[in-house]
Amino acid sequence: MTKQMNEKELITIEHIEQIIPEDTDYNFYFGPAHSGSGNFGVKLRIDGEKVTSARADPGYLHRGFEKLMEYRVPMQNAVLSDRVCVLEALNWNLVHAEAVDELTGIEVPQRARYIRVLMAELSRLQSHLIWYGVMSLALGFDTGFKMAFGYRDYILDIFELITGGRVYPAGYICPGGVRRDLPDGSEDKIKRVLDQTEEMMQKMKDFDNIVFSKRTRGVGILRTEDAIRLGATGPVLRACGVKTDVRKDDPYEIYNELEFDIPVREEGDAYARCLIRGREMEESIKIIKQVLNRIPQGNIREPAKITPPSRVKIPEGEVYVRNELARGEGCVYMRSVGGREPYRVKIRGPDFLHMIPVLEHLLKGAEIADIPAIYWSLNICPADMDR
Amino acid sequence: MAEILHKEGKVIEDISAKFKIAGKAQRERRVWVTIDKDNLIALCNFVKELGFEHLSAISVTDWPEEGTFELTYHLWSYSKKILLTIKTKLDRTDPIVDSVISIWRENAQIHERELHELFGVEFEGNEDLTPLFLEDWDGPPPFRKDFDWKEYVRQQCYDQANERERAYYD
Repeated sequence: MTKQMNEKELITIEHIEQIIPEDTDYNFYFGPAHSGSGNFGVKLRIDGEKVTSARADPGYLHRGFEKLMEYRVPMQNAVLSDRVCVLEALNWNLVHAEAVDELTGIEVPQRARYIRVLMAELSRLQSHLIWYGVMSLALGFDTGFKMAFGYRDYILDIFELITGGRVYPAGYICPGGVRRDLPDGSEDKIKRVLDQTEEMMQKMKDFDNIVFSKRTRGVGILRTEDAIRLGATGPVLRACGVKTDVRKDDPYEIYNELEFDIPVREEGDAYARCLIRGREMEESIKIIKQVLNRIPQGNIREPAKITPPSRVKIPEGEVYVRNELARGEGCVYMRSVGGREPYRVKIRGPDFLHMIPVLEHLLKGAEIADIPAIYWSLNICPADMDR
Repeated sequence: MAEILHKEGKVIEDISAKFKIAGKAQRERRVWVTIDKDNLIALCNFVKELGFEHLSAISVTDWPEEGTFELTYHLWSYSKKILLTIKTKLDRTDPIVDSVISIWRENAQIHERELHELFGVEFEGNEDLTPLFLEDWDGPPPFRKDFDWKEYVRQQCYDQANERERAYYD
């Protein structure tokens, strides 16, 4: 009896050939609420194991900030600018504040400039830690995810101490300076957190060989000319051998007074993009230490007292401000006709290019198993693409 | 100020020698030029050759009183380290402009696709202008100045007959 059944259930190669259809093409929808993709989808056409075409499907997080800002005064827009990208809210605060400052022509006090850079670099550090976390998750390395998010929390404690908000600083970096001064003892706390972050970076190096290099080396190669043509910026471009950084090439705030290097790699693959981010964290720590040593005393905002918004008008003019965010080039084009609200605000996020042309280009021809590695090696954020 | 901006002055000189237009060096690393829309493609080709290979963004500003759309092309040169903005104006009733897709490729494609959706500008030569962000939207392009989103939200989301929501109509 038993023998008979076994013979019946035994699957032979002929059986398998009958089951598998001749046509191996199919559609595969990556997203939109997938834990690995954020609020964003990619429509893939797959043949066997290979992606033959990819089309990005954005719009799940479109909030229309550019239009909203036309109805609000700069101090309100500062709060709104947090939301452009959840993962690096302070950096977007800075871009917006700089655009207004350039239009009004206000000389931002030196102490405020130092605090702005300090916060922007801390924000870059925590953004890179998030990236390390989700990249680990995408590669099936849960320990890395938990550790990175744990260490990121120390930086969030600093944000809470200084700005009052852990993730959203509620427009802490505002036009004219920053909202409030560093509380007593925050320098020591920041130094302690830097030590903790360095501890995490040492761990990242130890993990490196096991998972990251095996899953990412030689995957998703982006050539230099393609990168420039597709509009890649920031770490993605630097991983293709282009030595460029807005902080050095188009310096803002006090970056031209600080010493730091621009890490560059030639390979252009996902592994190179990972290593670049690791190196960038070291540079950020270097910058923060310099800022803490040199930070002068003085005012933190100009004018020191916040004037009721109804009385402040933005002088007529137009500016285009570029900043180096954790993900790449973030810009704001602001046009004013002399009213209380800006007449037009254009927000240019790095991921608008990284998530549509660059991602579509890299996914074409990739294996299914490599999709998460490619996807997260770009360190994407649907929020600043959709805006 | 004027004598420091050598680099910026050189770019303006190069452009004005060929196109007979004036440029403005706003500050270090910022150059603005304005051109009519017929010469836009020629100028874009010329500045790409000059080294402005990175199209940072394209933006549209709506001027309903004047009856125009103002297009701004923000270009960065990795070698010169200058941001050049090219501005051009379109008729608001017939907003058609040649696409710069042949110059900045996929990068330009996606920016034009966005602006087509949000402002209704037609980019001739760009074949894929399918909506990017808005799903099932059949209203006017929402980023135009004459689109009253407050009124739209009131009508779509609040019911005047409902006692609790009547306040939005007062």
